[in-house]
Amino acid sequence: MEAFLAAVEATAPAQYLRTSRWGYAAVSGAHILGIALLVGTILPLNLRLLGFWRSIPRANLLRVLVPVAATGLVLAVLTGPLLFSVRAQEYAAVGFLQAKVVLVLLGLLSALTIHHAYGLTLEGASERRLRFHALFSLGCWLGALACGRLIAFAVD
Amino acid sequence: MKKFLTIAVVLGFMFSSGAALGHHGWSWTTGENIELTGVIKKVRLGNPHGILEVEIGGELWTIEVGQPWRNERAGLKDGDLSEGVEIRVIGEPASDKSDKRLKVERLFLGDREYILYPERD
Repeated sequence: MEAFLAAVEATAPAQYLRTSRWGYAAVSGAHILGIALLVGTILPLNLRLLGFWRSIPRANLLRVLVPVAATGLVLAVLTGPLLFSVRAQEYAAVGFLQAKVVLVLLGLLSALTIHHAYGLTLEGASERRLRFHALFSLGCWLGALACGRLIAFAVD
Repeated sequence: MKKFLTIAVVLGFMFSSGAALGHHGWSWTTGENIELTGVIKKVRLGNPHGILEVEIGGELWTIEVGQPWRNERAGLKDGDLSEGVEIRVIGEPASDKSDKRLKVERLFLGDREYILYPERD
């Protein structure tokens, strides 16, 4: 594991990002854009599933919000490992990062499961199923955001 | 969901270990500068924060210096901060006294001063 993490730190992108001011800032900014798109759409999406804004047809809303959330997730998942690679050995030992990865995987699993079963617009899913997914999903993504932010402030 | 968040944060603290990473901002420091002098034992420079391990009076302190651009702006060259070099640092220590950790505002190598945070006293 140690050797693997050291190898990650020795890759060309990691070496570049470790010393680059604007390169690092750009990747960090792209990561935040990904999180903004993901959490910014997941929140209204899940609140709709919990019963908010019933006058807006669910399918219309999901057709917009699900692809945007997915785009945000892809952006965050592409840039996250780049930021990790800069200090792989230290970050791997950080509890908040470990917890964040678990929450992201659980959130992703929950989304893939429900969309696989009921499609993009979740037609035919029971109210109970939707509510359970919405609460679980909110917990995962808001928890992941909180853990991610704490990496920079509570490491010791 | 609140429960979920609490669990996540508690898990985060549980798994936390003594990783040598820097901190964002100054909220975790005392707000008062102190001065320490010691010998650099280990160097980890680069984004997002540079970290030195410095032996000070028989104790090992974690000394947080700047990102590459900040160190460079202060006048530090590659190799200035390296093992075996004596360093005098002025900055704010962690509020948690058990954490031997200081974030540098300015430092001295020999007689030369390097100012990382000109806007702070």
